[in-house]
Amino acid sequence: MTRWWFAPAPAERLATLRVLIGGYALVYVIARIAELVAIAHLPAAQLAPVGVVRVLAHPLPPSAVTAIAIATAVLLVAFVAGAAYRITAPLAAAGLLWTLSYRSSWGMIFHTENLVVLHVLALAIAPAADAWSIDSARRRREAAAGYGWPIKLLVALTAATYVLAGIAKLRLAGFAWLDGETLRDQIALDNLRKAVFGDPIAPLATPLLDHPAGFEAIALATLAIELAAPIALVGGRLARLWAAAAWAFHLGVVLMMNVWFPYPLLGVAFAPLFPVERAVRWIRDRRHPE
Amino acid sequence: MARDPVDVARRAAAIASIALVAAVVSPVARDPDADGFPLSTYPMFARDRGRSASLAYPIGRTAAGARRVLEPRFTGTTEVLQALNIVERAVAARDADALCRRIAAGVAADPGYADVATVEIVTATHDAVDYLVRDQVGSEFAHARCPVAR
Repeated sequence: MTRWWFAPAPAERLATLRVLIGGYALVYVIARIAELVAIAHLPAAQLAPVGVVRVLAHPLPPSAVTAIAIATAVLLVAFVAGAAYRITAPLAAAGLLWTLSYRSSWGMIFHTENLVVLHVLALAIAPAADAWSIDSARRRREAAAGYGWPIKLLVALTAATYVLAGIAKLRLAGFAWLDGETLRDQIALDNLRKAVFGDPIAPLATPLLDHPAGFEAIALATLAIELAAPIALVGGRLARLWAAAAWAFHLGVVLMMNVWFPYPLLGVAFAPLFPVERAVRWIRDRRHPE
Repeated sequence: MARDPVDVARRAAAIASIALVAAVVSPVARDPDADGFPLSTYPMFARDRGRSASLAYPIGRTAAGARRVLEPRFTGTTEVLQALNIVERAVAARDADALCRRIAAGVAADPGYADVATVEIVTATHDAVDYLVRDQVGSEFAHARCPVAR
């Protein structure tokens, strides 16, 4: 077990994941700042704190919400660049945890954001700036425990979130979830909520609800993908096959519910399963051939 | 005797890894409806909620009484589920009038909704399939009604 968890991996792979995951978080926070400012103006009675935000009895002033979000974005720039990483990375992770928990503290938990927060927290405790960073350009470090374990940790966190989603279905609905009716009703209800607010409904929602055959197969595939997520820890072709299936599942969610999970849809959630540093080297070699 | 730095580093990494994974899977031990962030039970698509739903949301009415749907941004968020929760909580807290006035002010400032004369905060029970597939809108009960002052 120890040998498997600490199997070596190149520092460049972890560095690439730092840039990819941190870069995603950075763009995401910047894109959400306007909305964070808007919810900061909601009446105090609407606050339903979750996670770390439970320390608050009352909402923060809008200026404080904005300042924390901007500070988080600045810290994430340092995170991506690997600048003073041992200080800036935990602060960036704390800022992201606070900012996105605050966003989820107004009556709706955004499950699209859990995994990116968990991944940034994991990277913040890892030696992810020992290559391709400002820190490593100044001083070369070699992590005593290597660079493989944080990548395994990222994969384990990804797998855990999918398994938990599968377990929730079995705990709340049992194997009846597999009859397809629960899924059909969820798809119908989710699209109804969008329709009453004039939001676009999913392109396949109406035809599927009008001809409901096939929901059993979709339900079975969904549960199989979620509960089979630990396959990702095995690595190799099997893990990548699972990643492809999970990605297709998220595409299906878009087509049937118009619910977007950008983190997995862009492939960032599954990047720890791949030798991502090779893509960087390939791009670099094409730009600067020997 | 000095301890091997590799062992020390691996022990620290193992403790950190186990702690983080244990925290992430810990919601499995609690009520599946007791959701949290980022430690979640992921209950969102798990429970059968039936195909009929009672929802609270704002609608616009033209001077002739025609119904117009209003985007979630008028409630203070661009997210539909969050907007629904905001309206439901306002109705539950008997605060629908204040929410109605706030939405009406937003509608008044938006030229795309120039034909909307009145905003209503309604609760309605819809059959989701009938609404989406057959355009059958359930009856809507108004908790609050306010004019759009321009």
